Amino acid sequence: MKGVLACVFAGCVYCAVQTRAQSVQAQAPGAQSKSSSWASRSASSSPSEGEIRFEAHCGRCHLPPEDLSPREAKAVIRQMRVRAMLSAEDERLILRYVAP
Amino acid sequence: MIKRFLIAMLVMAATGFGVEAQADVPVISGAVGFLSTTNGGTNYLEPIVVPVLSAPVGDHLLFEARGELLGFYSQNSGGGLSYQRQYFSALDYAQVDYIVNSWLTIVAGRFLTPFGIYNERLTPIWIHNMQDTPLILPIGTRTSGSSLGGMVRGAFTPSSDVEINYTAYFSASNNSQYWGAGRTAGGRVGIFLPDRRLEVGMSYQRFLQGTRFNSLGAHVSWQPYSIPLDVKAEFAHSASGYGYWAEAAYRLSRFRGPESAIGRLQPVFRMQQFVRLQPNDSDSLPGANTQQADFGFDYFLPHQVKINANYSRQFSSGGDANIWDIGITYRFMFPLWPGGSK
Repeated sequence: MKGVLACVFAGCVYCAVQTRAQSVQAQAPGAQSKSSSWASRSASSSPSEGEIRFEAHCGRCHLPPEDLSPREAKAVIRQMRVRAMLSAEDERLILRYVAP
Repeated sequence: MIKRFLIAMLVMAATGFGVEAQADVPVISGAVGFLSTTNGGTNYLEPIVVPVLSAPVGDHLLFEARGELLGFYSQNSGGGLSYQRQYFSALDYAQVDYIVNSWLTIVAGRFLTPFGIYNERLTPIWIHNMQDTPLILPIGTRTSGSSLGGMVRGAFTPSSDVEINYTAYFSASNNSQYWGAGRTAGGRVGIFLPDRRLEVGMSYQRFLQGTRFNSLGAHVSWQPYSIPLDVKAEFAHSASGYGYWAEAAYRLSRFRGPESAIGRLQPVFRMQQFVRLQPNDSDSLPGANTQQADFGFDYFLPHQVKINANYSRQFSSGGDANIWDIGITYRFMFPLWPGGSK
């Protein structure tokens, strides 16, 4: 069991180093920032805003559903609004993203 | 049994789309799966269907329900191809949600008990990374994993990069087959940093029937944007015992992309432990101190098909065991109302 714990610890250290390295790389001038502030990403109303919201909330548990029609999507996103405690704006933007 | 369950689902569906059928199309989603487990040399086969009904009515109302139809085939002693068959059905939740605003939703009916993150978010077979549920899942979710009563929930955003989510509920006692629940009260608070996809939170439940006791829980969920890593962990404590589980999954999507043969693979590791504080035959927790290490993988096929396989080594003072799981699930979704797919 100690060996298993040692492996877990080593894995966590590796992931932390990877995360840090990626973060530094992403913040380099000219690089597209994946870890820019939530506020700056939310400020724009670009079409990808829904994808950002989806990744932040829904993407923590599952992948985007495939081939959703807008009318199907409304019921599904409404359910996720309750489950994931999304705001009305989140619901609207994610709806536009999963069923444009 | 199954017939009554199906009738109940149909009645609920009719209630949902009969009100405003043209505007809001009810959707049946969920999954069908075939799961196989070998525990201590005995095989178990589980074909399962998990339908989820979601029926929005207007801008503020939603009816939702989830059921389970499960076959359970257990190998007879002596091995071979002789199996005992049992069939089960269950109603995980059937609730009406009234969305007052972004900060408050009122829920009534039968709902999943919001203790920690696993019971509410990770129990669907098309979502969780490991087939077996954590050892400590019964803590804070007795008696059935579901509650029967009322709940308020919502989220606040005190600043642009912080969200605080909450739930508070009360459940009445019920011993019927589909609506069974314990008399409890409790809640959960979480702090979520969307910029980092990091959430930490705490849960509390007061069990109010028979011998009263408190259950406490803590959870963390972290999915960094920079790498396809998924880390989740829970700790829970009750009068019966305490324990934790911690899980890490890393999808190999960086190897030629998420749609490549290797990029569809997601290795998963989970560590869990339970410490028994006092004997209790009815709490659904391990009877003795238990440690378990789970190794496995998920493979995401096209068309929402997922294959899962894992091996678990369980160390227990009641006896060690090897557990092998393999399963396949298919996520489905279709509108209930004719012509509602467009």
